[in-house]
Amino acid sequence: MDPIFFHRNPETATGHGHAAVQGHATGHGHAPDDGRLRGLKVAVQPGVAVKGWPTDAGSHALAGYVSLEDATVVQRLRGAGAYLCGSIHAAEFGFGLAGGRTGEAVRQAFADIELVLDSIGESRVAAARAGVCGLKPSYGLVSRFGLIGLIPSMECCAVLSRSLDDIRETLRIITGQDGLDFSLPDEEAPDFSSMAIDPGKITIGVIDEAQDALPATEGEEFRASLEALRRRGFTLQEMSLPDFSLFSLVHRIVGSVEASSAAGRYDSVRYGPRAPGAKNWNEMYLLSRAAAFGPFVKSYLIQGAFFQFERYGAFEDACRIRARLVREMRRLTSQVDFLAFPGIDGGAAGVPSGGMAGVPSGGASGDTAAGVPAKGGPGSPGEAPSAPRYGAQASLRGVYAEFASTLFANVTGQPVLYLPSSPGGGRAGIQLTGPRLADGRLLALGESLLETDRKGD
Amino acid sequence: MRFSERVFCGRLTSDDVGRRVLLAGWVDAFRDHGGLIFVHLRDRSGIVQIVFSPETASCEVCQRAASLRSEYCVAVKGEVRNRLPGTENPGIETGTIEVMTTELIVLSESDTLPFAVSEKAMVAGAASGEADHVSEDLRLQYRYLDIRRPSMRDNLTSRHRIFQTVRQFLDSRGFVEIETPALTMSTPEGARDYLVPSRLHPRSFYALPQSPQLFKQLLMIGGIERYFQLARCFRDEDLRPNRQPEFTQLDIEASFIDEESLYELTEELVVKMFAVGGISPARPFPRMTYAQAMDTTGSDRPDLRFGLRLVDVTDVFTETGYAIFRQVLEQGGRIKGLNLKGQSDRLSKNVLQNEYAKEIAPSFGAKGMTWMRAGNGRLESNIVQFFSSRELDRLRSRFAVDDGDVLIMVADPSPEVVTSALGQLRLHLAKRLDLIPDDAFCPVWITDFPLFEPTEQGGVTSSHHPFTAPDRTDFDPADVEELLTLRSRAYDLVVNGEELGGGSIRISDRGLQRKIFTALGLTDEEVNERFGFFLRAFDFGPPPHGGLALGMDRTVSMILRTPSIREVIAFPKNRSAVCPLTGAPTPVKREQLAELGLLDLGSREVLPGAAEKEDRIDRLSWLSRIGIAAEERAVMAETLKQAEELALIAAGSAGEDEPMYTVVPLANRMRPGTVERRCELSRTGDLLKNAPSVKNGYFKVAGILE
Repeated sequence: MDPIFFHRNPETATGHGHAAVQGHATGHGHAPDDGRLRGLKVAVQPGVAVKGWPTDAGSHALAGYVSLEDATVVQRLRGAGAYLCGSIHAAEFGFGLAGGRTGEAVRQAFADIELVLDSIGESRVAAARAGVCGLKPSYGLVSRFGLIGLIPSMECCAVLSRSLDDIRETLRIITGQDGLDFSLPDEEAPDFSSMAIDPGKITIGVIDEAQDALPATEGEEFRASLEALRRRGFTLQEMSLPDFSLFSLVHRIVGSVEASSAAGRYDSVRYGPRAPGAKNWNEMYLLSRAAAFGPFVKSYLIQGAFFQFERYGAFEDACRIRARLVREMRRLTSQVDFLAFPGIDGGAAGVPSGGMAGVPSGGASGDTAAGVPAKGGPGSPGEAPSAPRYGAQASLRGVYAEFASTLFANVTGQPVLYLPSSPGGGRAGIQLTGPRLADGRLLALGESLLETDRKGD
Repeated sequence: MRFSERVFCGRLTSDDVGRRVLLAGWVDAFRDHGGLIFVHLRDRSGIVQIVFSPETASCEVCQRAASLRSEYCVAVKGEVRNRLPGTENPGIETGTIEVMTTELIVLSESDTLPFAVSEKAMVAGAASGEADHVSEDLRLQYRYLDIRRPSMRDNLTSRHRIFQTVRQFLDSRGFVEIETPALTMSTPEGARDYLVPSRLHPRSFYALPQSPQLFKQLLMIGGIERYFQLARCFRDEDLRPNRQPEFTQLDIEASFIDEESLYELTEELVVKMFAVGGISPARPFPRMTYAQAMDTTGSDRPDLRFGLRLVDVTDVFTETGYAIFRQVLEQGGRIKGLNLKGQSDRLSKNVLQNEYAKEIAPSFGAKGMTWMRAGNGRLESNIVQFFSSRELDRLRSRFAVDDGDVLIMVADPSPEVVTSALGQLRLHLAKRLDLIPDDAFCPVWITDFPLFEPTEQGGVTSSHHPFTAPDRTDFDPADVEELLTLRSRAYDLVVNGEELGGGSIRISDRGLQRKIFTALGLTDEEVNERFGFFLRAFDFGPPPHGGLALGMDRTVSMILRTPSIREVIAFPKNRSAVCPLTGAPTPVKREQLAELGLLDLGSREVLPGAAEKEDRIDRLSWLSRIGIAAEERAVMAETLKQAEELALIAAGSAGEDEPMYTVVPLANRMRPGTVERRCELSRTGDLLKNAPSVKNGYFKVAGILE
């Protein structure tokens, strides 16, 4: 088995710059591309429909499934001349990062761009681990037609790359109205053209409660990062969101209910393996669906069924809280230009050597023998969640602890840019966010930061 | 107005012209001709047109008439008159007259109807309303409106008429109508019982009767001699299109009788019942033994409205060179066939080979099907070259083949498979080739059923029930071979391939009864436990007796030619055994269950609370149709425990906001285009490419039922 790729494009890139113009034109009958992304190598996930490719979304529920059509994002990327190099191993339905290799294609330069379904923060955590940039766009900007996920109201097609410029150009192509995705709102895509950022005029907010749950070492890293921003002339403003801890609750309740509903389609009728030996139709469902889902997703679906069928009130309560959190977040983002959030433990645990070599301040960054970082190490006994990290999604609780710093944006639909650590800039990895549709400005901010990182303080 | 003066709409005739009448009923249909208002007034008897005209009615009455709507319940007074020439409506019985209304009382108004009740057009030649396109569940949900439709009303009144015929006839023959209990003990009828918990005797149950079998025999022992009952029976069986959980059967039992007198009685009764529907089956009804029916039609309820008899041709092929037939014969198998006279134009090679031989015959259990078409004095087929001319000649004479005929044959090592597959092919072909005449009614008695059937364990079981008398009494109850040769004194009445009823002469000798139980392998203890109270009665001079039961819903449905038995039942269950009108069956309150001692049935050994948690995982597993393995249960239990905690926190933090289901502004979407089109992936068949199982261009799924 290929260690990174679940499927490699059988048509190799031809001509200069990998753009398989002719191969695509003849092989797939696509119109000639407009060349805007010519030369760009794009890796996707097994949950992205590419016509003729195996597309199992990392789940036995779709084992052997071969896509009949291109996802809208794929069709647009091809139309702009990008070359699809393959799909990367991913977690079941792209939920979490367990068992996948998300980020590796970009980190090892097999691809310029990776498309990553961001349901709970996957793109940002993977970017952190790979030491690359990642942008989760505003919810509703990118068509979800042809993307297979579990949580329709929260999942977004995010973009990983070593280059913010490539992310910008990719977003220009894949965002915007799509007649095939009826859930897209009638909104104008943000302005992605580059714009100047004057740190002296920019205020960046920091939510106190978002740091509360951080392990001590990460807290220190984050404060060091903020200090680096201040040194560059940005104004920092402390803010408060007392309900911050409820993001996880809302995500878990709403996410599981939507997942339970969305996974109803995996019934072994139109696709997916059918378990043998069913005597009737109900048994066919029970047996096939018993085999379709891994234990982690299965427990999520059963939890969703519990809220749907036995505690529907809890689902409605969670949606009420969601409304409040969205409102509060809007209020906070209206008072500053951007918000900064901790950059997730980029702790290179489990990442092959070279992952995050440059992260300052030891702490969680060193590889441990077991490949699991010694979280909550000396100085912070019992403070940190003891959940296992990468590669060991043992429980729902563990996954929700793993993504505790990222999932807020899936609940609110805000865009988030992850910038990797900058040894030169004295900064750890950091998440930057703004109001919905601030994607373009976020990229501009990111470019400005990377630029000053390069120059040094 | 005084309702005692009321006359029926449908009874008015031209003799009533000039008479002032009081009518009451429902507005069936309504036309407003600007000032002149016509209404079809409907009551149970029929429809008459009433007219509101400014010339005969006051302004105020005309105004109120203008506000009438369908199914308003009204009373009117007016004068009967002849319609103007050219305005008669031959679609209704009172179509030559109308009533000029002078008074109107709206007794009650009606909401907008869920479906049209009216079935009669107001103008001759116009289309009339039909309920055919209304979903049956909607009709059942508003059954009281459905029953207002004349066709349903006619069905129910005809049912009444048939029931009255039964009562009058049986009364005239000295039969006494006696009711037997509905709360009773489980009887050995073979289907599942509906159970009724007893509050006074916790953990004990009554069963609703599957038939009054034991009681009617006890009535014979009680000296009633001739009994009948239109009995409601209950069977908790798997769903089938034409089956109801509760049904009505005409139950008859008589003493000092034999088969002949029962045939005579039943035939006379059936002829009178069918006469209500204008049908007169010829008497005496033909009879066939079970063996004859199976041999010639492949069914124990043969449809005799058409020919197509099965012919055994095993002997034609004893020395055949055709490998498939030879192998079948070497294994002791049989070869039988049918001659479809003159059908070769309608059964092409393609249809015979690709539809019947490859798809249809295998679906009836046959491994294959051989066909031959006769033309130009020869038999043609894809395999005819494997047969000798002697074999072909013998086939021609055995089937009396003429040009244009089509022969089909099935060969199988199991004679039962041959018979059953050909029997089903016979029906399939008859329907496809329109060989079944519309208005034929062909009753037949099927007799001489085997008394026993073999069990897999090498013993025997009753084909009917263990109280059915055998054709002889001198058998050895230990000799299974001999037991399987016994015939029963049972009989079925079959009409047009449907079993309307059946019965038997019962065992009235306790020694013989004991012998039957011995043959069935039942010990004395088992017999006593199951039938003790019943057998005890046979110790006190039981008379020889026998009887029969007729399924009344099915019989009435056949007489009235309705597409389903639900059309002749006032408030039936639907195909899912649910009553859409009342919603039954429904869950009941915990208090009710507690009162009946049903709360912890079957879970007494389990620790308190544990069972409920187990149940919850099972319930969620079932609701979401996701099987959960034993080793996964611990994780699920932990997940649900956490979910409970989450629910608590959510409740405590919910606040007052309206729930938010999406973070983006909602947008209404119309799919572009107005012309329906077929999905390209469907047209090319690609849509089926990822399906685990496909048949004939459809996704194939497991059967809904086992």
